[in-house]
Parts: sequence; C-alpha cells; structure tokens
Amino acid sequence: MDKEETPQIPRRTTRSSASSSTSDNAAANKVFTPDPLTINDLVVGGDPISLDDLISKFPGRKSQIIELVRLLGPLNSPMLPLLVYGGASTGKTNIILQLFKHLKRPFVYSSCRTCYNERVLFESVLNQLLLHRKYSANGYSNAKRCERPSDFVNFLREALTNVINNLKGISEKSSSNKLGERGIGYMVYLVFDNFQLVREWDKSSIILPFLFNLYELLKMAEVGVIFISNSSPDTFYSNMGYVEPIPVYFPDYTEDELKKIFIRNQANQKLYSSFQDIVLRPFCRITRQLDELSTAFKPLFEKYCEPLSNPGVVPNEDMKRRLFSHLKPHISYSLNEVFKVSSPVISPEVEASKEIKRKGNPKKSEHSQEIEELEFHMSTSAKYLLLSAFLASRNPATLDASFFDSTGGSDNRKRKRKPSEKVLEQKESAEELLMKGPGTFPIERLLAIFQCLVSVAEDPSDEEELRNEGLGVQGGNGGLMSDVLLQLSSLCNANFIVKGGSCPIEGSTRYRSTISEDLAIKVARSLKFPLSKYLYRR
Amino acid sequence: MGRENHKLKALNLLRSRISDPKFIFKPLRDSPESNYNKLKFMVSCSITEACNNSILLLGPRGSGKVAVLELVIGDLLVEYPDMISVIRLSGLLHSDDNCAFKEIARQLCMEYELQFSKAASFDDNSQFMIAVLKECGLAHKTVIFVLDEFDLFAQGKQRLLYSLLDAMQSVTSQAVVVGVSCRLDADQLLEKRVRSRFSHRKLLFLPPSVEDSERMLQHVLLLPIDSSLPHDYAVEFNRKVHNILEDRKFKEIFNKYLNWDSSVKHLLRFLFSAVSCMDLETGFLSRENFETAFSNIQRQPKQECLKNSSILELYILVCMKRLEAKEQSLCNFNSVMKEYKNIHDSFQTTDYYARNVCLRAFEHLIHRELICFADNRGNSLSLEFRAVKLLISSAELHQGLRTYRSCPPILQKLMDREG
Repeated sequence: MDKEETPQIPRRTTRSSASSSTSDNAAANKVFTPDPLTINDLVVGGDPISLDDLISKFPGRKSQIIELVRLLGPLNSPMLPLLVYGGASTGKTNIILQLFKHLKRPFVYSSCRTCYNERVLFESVLNQLLLHRKYSANGYSNAKRCERPSDFVNFLREALTNVINNLKGISEKSSSNKLGERGIGYMVYLVFDNFQLVREWDKSSIILPFLFNLYELLKMAEVGVIFISNSSPDTFYSNMGYVEPIPVYFPDYTEDELKKIFIRNQANQKLYSSFQDIVLRPFCRITRQLDELSTAFKPLFEKYCEPLSNPGVVPNEDMKRRLFSHLKPHISYSLNEVFKVSSPVISPEVEASKEIKRKGNPKKSEHSQEIEELEFHMSTSAKYLLLSAFLASRNPATLDASFFDSTGGSDNRKRKRKPSEKVLEQKESAEELLMKGPGTFPIERLLAIFQCLVSVAEDPSDEEELRNEGLGVQGGNGGLMSDVLLQLSSLCNANFIVKGGSCPIEGSTRYRSTISEDLAIKVARSLKFPLSKYLYRR
Repeated sequence: MGRENHKLKALNLLRSRISDPKFIFKPLRDSPESNYNKLKFMVSCSITEACNNSILLLGPRGSGKVAVLELVIGDLLVEYPDMISVIRLSGLLHSDDNCAFKEIARQLCMEYELQFSKAASFDDNSQFMIAVLKECGLAHKTVIFVLDEFDLFAQGKQRLLYSLLDAMQSVTSQAVVVGVSCRLDADQLLEKRVRSRFSHRKLLFLPPSVEDSERMLQHVLLLPIDSSLPHDYAVEFNRKVHNILEDRKFKEIFNKYLNWDSSVKHLLRFLFSAVSCMDLETGFLSRENFETAFSNIQRQPKQECLKNSSILELYILVCMKRLEAKEQSLCNFNSVMKEYKNIHDSFQTTDYYARNVCLRAFEHLIHRELICFADNRGNSLSLEFRAVKLLISSAELHQGLRTYRSCPPILQKLMDREG
C-alpha cells in the first residue's frame, strides 16, 4: 500500500503465504497434511527486531511506539485493555504487529473486516488459539462451532487456560535453562483490528459492549486485549455503557513526517527531496493521507525526472529551477486529479500520442480530448437506454410530452405563466434538484422515452444507427422489450441505474439514474445525439 | 542485573495490583460500615441459617460492585469450605432464557462433576436446576447465583428470574441470588410476579470521596516493606510516593481527573497509565508520570480530528457551518459545493479545487466522523445527494481553527463573522 509497509513482512502475509504453499503441495500430493501448529506459531517468527530499528522504521511514530511499549509493560505483567485509534494509514496495525515481533510475545490477531460477523470472528480467534489450521483434509472446517457470545467465552476461557499453562511450562523450562535470554512469557494478547466496523454489525447492540467487557468477563490476568480502531473512542456509544479502555492516539502524519517517510527507499534522495520541496506543500492542503499521496506522487516524480538524462544525478540550484519550471504546469493540473483512478487499459501508443499533444498545448487539448472519449465500451442500445434513464431522472415527467411529442402537446398552456412566478419557481426547483438528487421513474416512462430517442436517432443521415436500432424497433415489440429489459438489468448491476423502493401508490418498482451530467454528455457525444435539446434546463 | 530486577519486580507488582479489581477494595474489610461487610453479613446469614435470600447491588459503572462481591465470595469460600457453590451469569451473555438455563446446568454439572448434556432442552435444564437446588438444600449447601448486568435479564419474559426466585420460595432450597446492575431502577423493571418474590434488599455503591480515593491511591502505590524487594529501595520508593501525594500540583491534576469521573475503575485506569510511564532507570514514580498519564488519557477526540483534517476539509466544514447558520435545515454535498463556490467567488481564495477532489475530502470527513448522514434511508442515492449533518459545534470548530497550524486567515474570518 504505502512505502513504509512494503519492506516488512507482517505476520498476516507470512501466514497467507504459508497456507498458499501448503495448498500447492496438497494439489501435488493428495494425502498431504501440514505440520501441526505449535504454540510457537502464536509468536511472530523471523529475525528479531530491536526497538531502535522499529523506531527508525516508522518515522514520526517514536512517541506512540514508546507509549505502547510502556503500556504493554515488561514480560508477564498484566495489562488493562487498550484502544489504539487514529486515522487511515497512520501505521496502527503495522506498528502493533511489528511491536509483537520485537517483543516476541504470543498474540492472536483478528481483523473485524475479514471476520465480517461475530461468528466468523469468534471462530477465527478460537482457531488460532487452538492451533487449528484449515486445510483440504479437514474440509477447511473450524476448530469449534461457535455462534453465541456465551459459548465463545466458555471456549475462549478453556483455550486460553490451555495455552497459558503451556506457555508457563515453557517459560519455566527456559528460565531454568538459561537466565540471560528472554522467554516469550505467558501473557496472551488478543488484538482486534478495524474495531469500528463492529458498530455496524450488531442490530441487537450486545456485541459491542460484550467485546469491550471481554477482559472483565474472562477475569484472567494473563490476557491482554487490544482494540485497533479508525475512529475515536467518543464514537463508540452504546446504550449499555462500558469502562473505557486506555486510549493510545496515532495522529495523522505532519508534513515533515511525510517528507521523512517518502524519502525512504528512494534511490536518489537529493533529487527526491528537491521534488518534495515543490510538491508536498500544495498537496498537503488537500490531504495528508499517506496512501493517497503516494499514488499521486508517483507519476509526478516520473514527470519531474523526464528532462534528466541520468536519474542518479545530484541536482544543483540551476537544475532545480529548470526542473521546477518543467513540473509547474503539471502540479496544478494533477492537484485537481488527485483521487482520480486512471484507467489501466490505455495502450502505450495512445499514451504516446497523448503525450505529444500534451507537450504541444499542455492543458487544453487534454481536457477536450477527455470529454470526448468514453473510458469503457457499451452497446449502442445500452447507451440509448442510459441516456433515456438520465433524461427520465432529470426532466420532470409533466414535460415529457413537450419534449418528445412533435405537436408540442400541452406545452402552450404551460409556458403562459407570469415570468416572475416562473423565476421564483425555477429557483426553488433548482434548489430541490441539488438536495433531492435525480428523480425516480417507473419503467414504463423509461421505455417510452427510450422509444422516442431511438426513433429520433432513426435519422437518415445516420445510417448505422438506423440499421442497429431500427431493426430492434421494427422487428416486433416483444423482441425489443426482452432485450431492453436485459440491458436494463445489466445497467442496474453496473450501478448506472439504481432500483429504488417501490412507489407507495402503484406498487411498481421505480428506477433512478445515478450518472452525472458529464458522463451523460460523453455518452451522447459518442452517439452524436443532441442531448441538450431534450434536457430541461431550470 | 540484580538492581534492574527488583525495579522490574516492583513495576510488575504495581501493575498486577491495578489489574486485579479486587485488590483496591481489600482495605474495606476493616470498616464495619462498608458495603463489603454488609454484603458479607447478608450472605453468610443465609448460609448459616440455611435460608433463601436475594440482593441487588446497584451503582454506576466501574464502582466496584462485582469486585466487592467477588471479594466476599472468595472470603466465604475460605470460611465455609464445601458449603457454597457459585453460579455466575452475565446479562451480556445469557440474557436469552434458554441460554441461561443451559449455562446454569453446565456450571452445576461442572461443580458436582456430573455429565452435562448439550442436547438437553429448556425444560430438562430448568427441572435439573430445581432438582439440584433441592438436593443442595437437603445437604445444607448454599448456591449463590450471581447475575451480572441484571437489567438485561429483565428483558423479555423473565422466565429465568421467575423460576429462580420461585424455587427459592420453598423451604427445601437454600440459595442466594445476587443481581448486579448499573441501572438504579433495576427492580422496577421486574414483572409483578417476579417482583413479589424478590426480597428487595438493595445495596448502593457510590463513587468514593476524594479522601477515600487518596487512601486507595496509597494502598495501591505503596510497596510492602517486608517482602522480597530490597528494604532500602521500598522505603525510598514509598517516601517518593508520599511526596507526590502531598504535592499541590499533583492534587490539582488528581482533582481535575476525579471531577470528570470519580469511579474506582476510572481511577485505576489513571493509575495504570501513570505506573506504566514509570522510568525503569531510576525505578521510582515521579509527578511527571502522572502528568503524562493525565494528558494521555484525557483526550479531546474532536479537536484531534480537526487537527488531522487538511485545509480543504476545513473549508468544507466552514461551508457547512455557514449553511447551518443560514438555517438551511438540510444540506448535502451539492449545497456545500455551492457555498464553497460562493466563498471562492467573493473572496478569491487560492484553495479552489475540482469537484471530485472535494468529494473525496467530503468522504474523509465522513470517515473521521466529523459529519454523518442525516438518515439511514436513501442508500440508493449517491453520496452527493444524501443529506448530512455536522457533528461538531461551532465553538469546537472555532477552537480547532484557532489552534490549527497554518490555518488560512480567511476561514477564521468567515467563522468570526458568522459566530
């Protein structure tokens, strides 16, 4: 995800890689059974990591690491529950996992995101504690089936007592063997990641206070509980109440800390720091989240390096100025594109041709081009359907006749209102559109508009459309209808059109188009369809 | 090595004292007026006189109801061995009657080394319980039922409470039901048929006074002189602790903390945080430890969130605040963007970004829980159209802007004008 996480191997990945290798073996050899897990698998293996290494690995997190180490305390000392909280991508999970690697203490990690409900969470914790591994021979079954919190507490207590007794045996043995080396102790830590998600699980509002009170319910001094959450402790209100865990706060990175993080793992640090001097400040005004910034910086840095023949060069003042003037036009453009996901399908030639255009006339050509191009393929009739859904959502139903009827319908009567009244109403309705969003429509109206649009497109000047669409229209209503309904359902699945609630009076399902006007214009342009003629402007 | 070792030992001792909820209540044994002695008297009466009893322990969360009860039970188990068995239930786990009876049966089976059947039905389990109660009565054994989170048992049909209390009406049985709840009106939640069988003994647990809290502090923090710890070290340690407790600044912090919440659990949290800050180099506690603990525990999450926000996010918040001041009952992303554009048009700010960038910033604010959706309905609507509301007051926003580093002056001006 971000640069600081790539070089390390948190236990989660080692676990998954371990299981993937076993599955490979299992495919080769059917009767393969993996080695049973031992109690040492609760501890992160691999090279030991010193506290200083840990601190230097996470720039700007020194005080939090030290605070956590202090709260976790020396070996075998009991602990009150902790709540580690802070914004996204501030290193909470990673630091906790690395810290346990450093401390070499047994712990059980389960994320409430992957364990998406209480049962899965309970079973995942128990599997780890009972040293149970899912593989093909046991049908990927869980160690225990456990749905209720009451069963969970019983199983958990049993499993924990076992594990703790084992650990105590081990630490006694090791302490009698050699005094100098630190053992792994007999404390077991339960780590619950992404804890904020639990709030959405419980319709019965029991699970949240239950997990918060888990430490009290277990009444075991050898258990430490750590919650990791995205949101602050004041957002965990429940009608039951609970004794709050001790908060440990991870603030978002400041600009200087971000600088330190980005400079790590850069081949040419001098060059990168001069790049950062230009870029970091304006971007920090928008967001300080590491993951988002790193995706935004990557293409910019490539652009920055473009005029350089040798990327290893150490820039002097003159060159810095030159590079700055080269990059400058791109910054303001990319600031407004920060969160855009670029489509990966663009072929290198297209990219190259774009490049050329960009060089010639940096901003304008780019923009105009982008509006014209649709980033995905869609059948012509689906496009028409999308447009008609868009129109049905935007235009008031009463005006359909005036737009699509050649005689004008009841238009004349409507237009006779007094101008002042009209202006007032226009304002109101504009406000309403802003607030309410696109309107809903029944399927009949959609189909009616669709037919109108298609018949408009049957213009002799546009022969291809005629052949495509005309066939459908003329070839019997039934065939067209089934086809259109299929298209409609696939558009619904793609989230271009949303199935709303049913109308309270008629009982029929109503639809709503969610596409923005920009997209609709793009689609219309690709069909050469005069959309603005049919769009009601307030 | 040896010197390091006893410092570690002292730290471990303090930490295990704090994590053990019973320890802090041990001095209560000496005062006759304490809840400990009242409770012990009531329970031991019903043991010695072979009668039934029911008691409610009421008090705010974290006031040590369960801890005192456990202390009492522990002492009684020593005093009357083989005469007591304890069944512990929690409303968080066993509020479902079916589940509760199962758990009672399981614990009884464990206690008397009987075979527990998982498949037993509700009726089987309840009959089994009554039979065991009868047998226990005949053998002059008392069963103590501890019902934690008592108010949760009062939801639903209260069959568990009814059958428990009803079984206790007979002469043959010998049981004590102790309900623990932080709802002071817990006995009002009972149905009539249950309430009439309940004995209405209530013990109220109040947060300790400041003096009591200080006494508890000493009780937890002072090291024992006559133990494996070196004598000199323990004496020196205790002297420092006394110094800290006498310190005026410390008292200020301590009072400030207790004003916030003076329950015992809360106090223990503070102590734990302070003790973990203890410097292992010197091996002594200092006043600074308590100061850092105070600042670590007393969090202002909303201000932190504001500090984390980027400038664009602050703009959006200010826009929403302005809309709120204009008494627009509902706002959504579109109306915020309109306001944002207005501000830009009238003040020509440098921070004017594209719509999708703002939309992402808006999403960040939702993740930070500085704003939230006004209703759960309208999930089908896209984000731009869903109504949102602010979760911070304008005073908080004011303060946040004032303390924000490099906050654009225009934002403060906008807020000042409005406030």
